[in-house]
Amino acid sequence: MTAPHLREGEIRVMPDRRGWSLRHYIALFVAVLFAVAAVAGLAVRTAAEQDAREAAEADASFAARVAATQINGDLLLLEETTAKLAANPQVAVILAAPVGPCSLTFGAGPFSTGHLDIVSPDGSVKCSSQPTSKGAVYGSAGWLPRGLREPIMVAPFLDPVTGLVSAVIAAPVDRGAGTVVAIVALGPLGPSLAATLGGARGLEFLVTTADSDMVLARSLEPDRWVGANLSNTAFISYASSTERPDVAGTTRIYGRSVVASSDWVVFAGADKAAALTAADMSANRGLAIILAGMAVMLVVVFVVYRRIAEPVRRLSMVMRSSTHSGAANAVAGTGASEVTALAEDFDQLMETVNHELAERLKSEQAAHLSERNYRMLFEGHPQPMWLYDVNTLAFLSVNDAAVDRYGYSRKEFLAMTIKDIRPPQDVPKFLELVYEPMPAFDRTGPWRHLLKDGSTVQVLVTSHAVTFGEHEARFVLAEDLTENQRLELELHQSQARAESNAELSRAKDEMVSMVSHELRTPLASIVGFAELLVTREVTPEQRKEYLAVMLQEGRRLTSLINDFLDLRRIEGGHPTLSFAPTDAGALIKRAVDLTSDGSSSKVETRIPDDLPLVQVDSDSIFRVITNMLSNARKYSPDGGPIVVGASVVDGMVEVFVKDEGLGIPSEALAQLFRRFYRIDTPDRRKIKGTGLGLAISKNIVEANGGKIGARSEGPGKGARFHFTVPLARERSQTGDVLVVEDDSGFAHLLEAELAARSLSSIWASDAETAEHLMSKNTARAVVLYLLLPGFSGEAFLQRLRATHGIGIPVVVVTMKDLDPGAILSLQKAGVTAVLRKGPGIAETAANMVAKSLVSELVAS
Amino acid sequence: MRSYTPPALQIMRTVLIADDESSMRLLVHATIESDEYAVVEASDGAEAWALIQKHRPSLVLLDVQMPGRTGLEVLRSVKADPELAATRVILLTSKAQEGDIEEGLIAGADFYLTKPFSPLDLLTRVEEALQL
Repeated sequence: MTAPHLREGEIRVMPDRRGWSLRHYIALFVAVLFAVAAVAGLAVRTAAEQDAREAAEADASFAARVAATQINGDLLLLEETTAKLAANPQVAVILAAPVGPCSLTFGAGPFSTGHLDIVSPDGSVKCSSQPTSKGAVYGSAGWLPRGLREPIMVAPFLDPVTGLVSAVIAAPVDRGAGTVVAIVALGPLGPSLAATLGGARGLEFLVTTADSDMVLARSLEPDRWVGANLSNTAFISYASSTERPDVAGTTRIYGRSVVASSDWVVFAGADKAAALTAADMSANRGLAIILAGMAVMLVVVFVVYRRIAEPVRRLSMVMRSSTHSGAANAVAGTGASEVTALAEDFDQLMETVNHELAERLKSEQAAHLSERNYRMLFEGHPQPMWLYDVNTLAFLSVNDAAVDRYGYSRKEFLAMTIKDIRPPQDVPKFLELVYEPMPAFDRTGPWRHLLKDGSTVQVLVTSHAVTFGEHEARFVLAEDLTENQRLELELHQSQARAESNAELSRAKDEMVSMVSHELRTPLASIVGFAELLVTREVTPEQRKEYLAVMLQEGRRLTSLINDFLDLRRIEGGHPTLSFAPTDAGALIKRAVDLTSDGSSSKVETRIPDDLPLVQVDSDSIFRVITNMLSNARKYSPDGGPIVVGASVVDGMVEVFVKDEGLGIPSEALAQLFRRFYRIDTPDRRKIKGTGLGLAISKNIVEANGGKIGARSEGPGKGARFHFTVPLARERSQTGDVLVVEDDSGFAHLLEAELAARSLSSIWASDAETAEHLMSKNTARAVVLYLLLPGFSGEAFLQRLRATHGIGIPVVVVTMKDLDPGAILSLQKAGVTAVLRKGPGIAETAANMVAKSLVSELVAS
Repeated sequence: MRSYTPPALQIMRTVLIADDESSMRLLVHATIESDEYAVVEASDGAEAWALIQKHRPSLVLLDVQMPGRTGLEVLRSVKADPELAATRVILLTSKAQEGDIEEGLIAGADFYLTKPFSPLDLLTRVEEALQL
């Protein structure tokens, strides 16, 4: 940035203005700065040393006082301990008896090592917290005679048991029978004081006897000094001064204090040299701060000079020189810094914008291209592909290969449903499967497809769920099966079967071992108590208690076996599930009624009025809901509130049960649905369970085409269990005759009989569902079983008459003969016939319905 | 205040029952109830180990399958501690698997009983172990 005309020589000739220049001010400022710094430095150094000495003295005195108080407290604690134990009547028993079984525990606490002995008058140990000292004899100890008469505290004493210099605290047992002695080693006392009170200074602690003759404890080299004589050390000769050499000769600044209960003297000494070094360091830190401050100031001065004074001077020079010479390039040269930068930035901006535009154009072209490519992939794919609407089954789009292979024109295709390309004999099976819930991605086959020329082909069908415009659709790829492929497929399927058989048998083995283990514990209780009752005389209370346990464990065995059998039935792959449109809300309400046990848990139900019907096996789903509800109660021992409800989530109905009970640890969430898995925490131990309920629920929900899950924020935060089930399809909710019957077997029989009379039927397993279905207004007749779960058949009949009038013929089916009064009231309600269940009754009922519908027709 | 365990004096022998099933604890307790020794109960492995250290029982009746620390783990801890190694241990197992029993006997158990067991049999074993 230096233009050739900005040389020093030229600057010098510029005329100076009046007053001091900025340079002069800055020089003066720097000089003052140095002077102040020097004075401050000197002051810091002197003050630091004085402070350090005073601080060391204060620290040492304080530490000595605290140490003395602490030792005093510790000794009093030991006195109290021995006195208490001496007063314990069991001690007298031990002293009186020959050496008997006894154990004594003693945490030496304050002095960290030591032992507690019960000593007889001859000095032998009767019982000790330290097994090895049992045989030891204190007979020769000087303190023993006094210790048998009164509480004493003696130190130092060389403990014959541990060989350590120790203090003895003894309390006499009643009438000279013996004494309880706590013997604590003095060695660890010094280091322990230094560790807790030594602080950053690393104070030396020295504890001496009252006359300062003997060392009782020292924090440094305790092994050498504890128990040593002090009289010839330098420490004693300088006794009058706070600053004196310690026993090893290091000069220290000392504080002193006396232990109240024992007259021991505690010294705490700070190393003088270290204290002064620290003072030096603190002085140096002060100086460093001053120097750093100065450096910062100098940098500031320099920056101010360079960044403000210099540029201002230069600018003024350039302006002056350009005024003289009129050279435009000179101004451009100096003023340019910002201008050129701005120009450069602008260029860069333009470049970025242009680049961005080009990129965007390119990606649009690419998108266009890829859409065309994708369409070509569909249209030009050599294998037949199509899209169909999941609800109407109508074709939405077909590719060229489909038109070629199947022989229908594109127009013909779009007028058909996928049912129309099945050979007639396959249609029933197809209808049965097509409304079942399908996984998002599926590969099935072989299927037979009907071509336009009347021939059939075997195909494998790969499909997945898509959204096509407004339609909920599936995208299908049909692959022809060659003979080889068919054989290969069969082989593959049989291999898979074999593998799954092996898997099954492994699981079975594991199950058998688990079950036998689970059964053994309750069995052990039952058999064991039975044997006790048979072989022993027991009190009536005991008998009752034992029998109660036997009953409880027997019940546990029963429920284990029941659950286990259920699980086998469901897992065995032959579940007797009958799917029908069902009112999930009614199931929930019934489950709440069934499980309410008068406990304090309040159950709130949240079921929207417009909850659609679901396609499930109502008995099994009811079981899942009751299981979840009873779990919520069991695991809310404090009776917290429970919320149960249902809502539509992602095209399924989700049922949930939420509690504010014990909650579930996150690591357990994944395991919850495993057989025999039970969360093991102390708060759950009392809660009984077989560990099978959730495993059964999972199987049921999956067999119903849904998913089960659980959430919890963690222990103590409650849990939320939920499962999904598929919605009832529109088709399964419409028919000529509504069969209201909770027994699926009879319902199916009746459906078959009605179908034989060209009447389609819909089945509801309870009155609530039946009401929903009646509101669709497709059923023209009703077959009603009276003994329904929840809402009774009679109540349904009354409501039916209220909403639909008497125009709909109703055939009532009962389990037992009704009394004449009941029959009369049914006839009043316009019932066509009352039939008692028995062989052939389905046929009779179907005939009745058909006849009444015909007469209906005639009448209208 | 620094840590300090107050002295505890005990002159009766102790038998510890460790089982997570309350009905089993009741059965064993009722079976071996005696004036000769005190009986304490633990409902899981960790509690069993804590009570063993506290009471230094002469005999431990140990369920093998317990939550927390299994009976075998507790047994190994007992045998590894020189001050506790002399403790007698009888294992109670609901697993009919040989492996566990063998492992227990190698780890130093004195005897084992398989559930369901005869209470009278258990009592005999307890008296043997305590040399009553």
